[in-house]
Amino acid sequence: MAGLSFEGLTRAYQGAPAVDAIDARIAEGEFVALLGPSGCGKTTLLRLTAGFETPDAGRITLGGRVLADAQDPRGFVPPEERNIGIVFQSYALWPHMTVARNVAYPLEVRRVAAPERARRVAEALALTGLTALADRAPAQLSGGQRQRVALARCLVAEPGAVLLDEPLANLDLALRGAMQEAFAAFHRRTGATMLYVTHDQTEALALADRVAVMKDGRIRQFAPPEVLYDRPQDAFVAGFVGDGAVVSARAAGPLTGAGVLVEALGQRIEARAADALPTHLCIRPEQVAITPDGPVRARVASCTYQGGRFRLGLETEAESLVTHSPTRIAVGESLRLAIRHPWAFRDPDVTPLAALQVAEHA
Amino acid sequence: MSVRSFATTISRSQDRLIPLLLLPVALIALGPILRLLAEGFGFGQGLTLSHATEVLGRDSTRIALGHSLLTAGAGTVISVLIGAAFAFVVALTDIRAKAALVFCLMIPMMIPPQITALAWMQVTGPSSVLLKTLGLAPPLGSPQPLYSSGGIALLLGLQHASIVFLTLRAGLRLIPADLVEAARISGARGPRVWAQVVLPLSLPSLAAGAAMTFVTALGNFGIPAMLGIPARYSTLPTLIYQRLVSMGPSVLPEVAVLALLIGTVAILGVLANRLLLRRRAYGLVGLSGRPLSLSLGRARLPVEIGFWLFLAAILVVPLAALLATSVIPAYGVPLSLSNATLHAWHEVLFRQPVTLRAYGNSLLLATAAAVILMAVAVPLAWVIARRPSWGTRVIDTLVDLPYALPGVVLAIACILSFLRLPFTQVTLYGTLTIILLAYLSRFLVVMLRPVQAAVGQLDPAMEEAAAAAGARLGRRLRTIVLPLAAPAAAAGAILVFLTAVNELTVSALLWAAGTETLGVVIFSLEDSGDTVMAAALASSIVGLIVLLMGMVQLAAPRLPKGCVPWLD
Repeated sequence: MAGLSFEGLTRAYQGAPAVDAIDARIAEGEFVALLGPSGCGKTTLLRLTAGFETPDAGRITLGGRVLADAQDPRGFVPPEERNIGIVFQSYALWPHMTVARNVAYPLEVRRVAAPERARRVAEALALTGLTALADRAPAQLSGGQRQRVALARCLVAEPGAVLLDEPLANLDLALRGAMQEAFAAFHRRTGATMLYVTHDQTEALALADRVAVMKDGRIRQFAPPEVLYDRPQDAFVAGFVGDGAVVSARAAGPLTGAGVLVEALGQRIEARAADALPTHLCIRPEQVAITPDGPVRARVASCTYQGGRFRLGLETEAESLVTHSPTRIAVGESLRLAIRHPWAFRDPDVTPLAALQVAEHA
Repeated sequence: MSVRSFATTISRSQDRLIPLLLLPVALIALGPILRLLAEGFGFGQGLTLSHATEVLGRDSTRIALGHSLLTAGAGTVISVLIGAAFAFVVALTDIRAKAALVFCLMIPMMIPPQITALAWMQVTGPSSVLLKTLGLAPPLGSPQPLYSSGGIALLLGLQHASIVFLTLRAGLRLIPADLVEAARISGARGPRVWAQVVLPLSLPSLAAGAAMTFVTALGNFGIPAMLGIPARYSTLPTLIYQRLVSMGPSVLPEVAVLALLIGTVAILGVLANRLLLRRRAYGLVGLSGRPLSLSLGRARLPVEIGFWLFLAAILVVPLAALLATSVIPAYGVPLSLSNATLHAWHEVLFRQPVTLRAYGNSLLLATAAAVILMAVAVPLAWVIARRPSWGTRVIDTLVDLPYALPGVVLAIACILSFLRLPFTQVTLYGTLTIILLAYLSRFLVVMLRPVQAAVGQLDPAMEEAAAAAGARLGRRLRTIVLPLAAPAAAAGAILVFLTAVNELTVSALLWAAGTETLGVVIFSLEDSGDTVMAAALASSIVGLIVLLMGMVQLAAPRLPKGCVPWLD
């Protein structure tokens, strides 16, 4: 296993960058999720890593070995020499081979001797719980079983890194949970460096050590799941990851160790912050308390049951908020709210001029 | 570092091998046609059209062109009537036993045209064994009614009806049921729905099928040769044949002009076909939903009986007549239980050196063509699908041409190209090799399309998974692409084999003593009056063809969609 790094990695299609100057380092044995809406470049980044695409600029290295460098096209390592395992969204199992032959294929290609090959195939099948299905054809397997064959096939060659392209997208909801646990267990047992592409934030947050949130070919934030949730860097990440609301805000006091006093929702609110000139507040549902003496007035706009609790969509004078309630509350009812410890940040998409005006107002 | 650059050199040199594949394919598939084109413009005598205008101005040329257009045109009308009736009923209604109907309708196209003509000649005319046996034969001396433009047109029409059928059925499949349902909700009743919705939507397909039928009928040699030559009724293909047979290669410049003339008419037809098919695709694709399906109700049984009676008339009657002729002791004798004999069968299958040689030659040529094309088609289909470039696009577009153009055109082109092999004194004229080269050129597309369908349906991720597993290009092709494309390649090989065994037009112009093919021998046996032996040989070939078609039909469930032309 080896660490993976991208330096200034860029890939454009017909002039439009799909991956735009990405810099990132993934440590050896780390489980990283690439999270983003469709078209954000996450799959292109994965295919660049696998070697199915060549970069227009920048470099990819795996364990210190340069795999691709736009400065040195002759040094491009083709996919078959990268020693990278990949699990495709469509699984891409070869229908004319049995499960065991599918798994054995990478070893046959590497000319591993037959007894050694048999041992490693048996090991990989056991690890993925497929021993009983070794002689079946892929067409005879269920979706989850096919997924596990694809996983066994990619790990049998002990790859330097494992790439997973939306591996759960084709499975039903119940199976997804089980497969998520299988991936996590697999990662614990093998210690493989894993790059996991998904558009499903639940998957990314549940599985990954760190999540890279992507938009328009760039990584907007690359951090552990709890940091993404608690301290998003910009309005996109705040809105894309986790439930809650993003409302505009302006600083109303200096940045201290505890945070900053901001003006938002017509109130002065004590917020956690790392920037002295925040433009937005990220308010998670659990940071909105329904109290009779709360300073913010809001009307209930929606009430949906989520199992054990109700999710309330709330309308204040100018903004929308989200909170949870243990009981059903009628739509249209008025409530009073208190905002506790929201996260204030400066969104880089807001022009510096606007930030300046906000500062002057403060 | 050095290890890595070594490795990349290998993977690049693999891609550099692609032109090594494309170039010979382009040369063999398209070279002869280009050589023919050059001949028409006075190749070797300075650029001139004077020679061409001289040949085109002759009466014999004008008459043959007129006959060709007339018989092909009338034949197309007959094909459209038959093919359209079958297509509408099979594609749109709940008629039963569709697969069997389609299979039977396909048989006439798969039977060599000279056999079709021979079989029908046994149905009509004063010496028909069938009619004599039934006591219905016209008096001796009365003319064979098929020796006429009407007879040629009728048989051309029967032979090519399935082309209209296949094109139209594919088009009808694209009409979603909700279009008709929408018309009915708007208040339109049965006939109005047909006239205003179904018919306009299917018209481009019908016209495309008609254009292709016309091109094929125009190039047909077997039927006008069997029916026209005895009646001194010449079409362009038979004119070319007769000129070349009587005068030898010295008339090549002249027949090249004739070949170009028929080729030009054919290309116009092919272009019309392409244009119409493109119009059909517009606006209908992308719509999802069930294909149209109408209930015939109480009319179903009568319709079924009608269709099967028709198939019996065009298939069973002539083949029965052919079979009857093959088991009589001498031509002109009525068949009875006491005089039936397998003598002619025994002769053609075991004794006559010429028929044995023809069987050997045809089977050898068909096998060689099928095997070579199979070896070429899989990598070629892969390159076209995965490494598209202008080169592959040119080949993909033009590879239809040697098959769509009339066989005489390709035959003349091959003689011109290989009479003197470029840069050598070697001539291939009169050898099996020249026939094989012509077959490779003509049937490449028959092999390529099914394999392309199979490769096109392969998930590229299958190959990427193999690459990620460490397999290089050669190994990926061998262990992933080849096994998955193999069923389609096998189907394509059988189709090539079928078509090559049937082939007459190309070999009629390219054969020499010792290199006869089955098609040539049937023709010359009948020509020299050995009708009984010709009938026995023809019957045995029909048996072989139906057997091969049946094999493809049985293998159908294991084949990818779209690789056998007559299956959905």
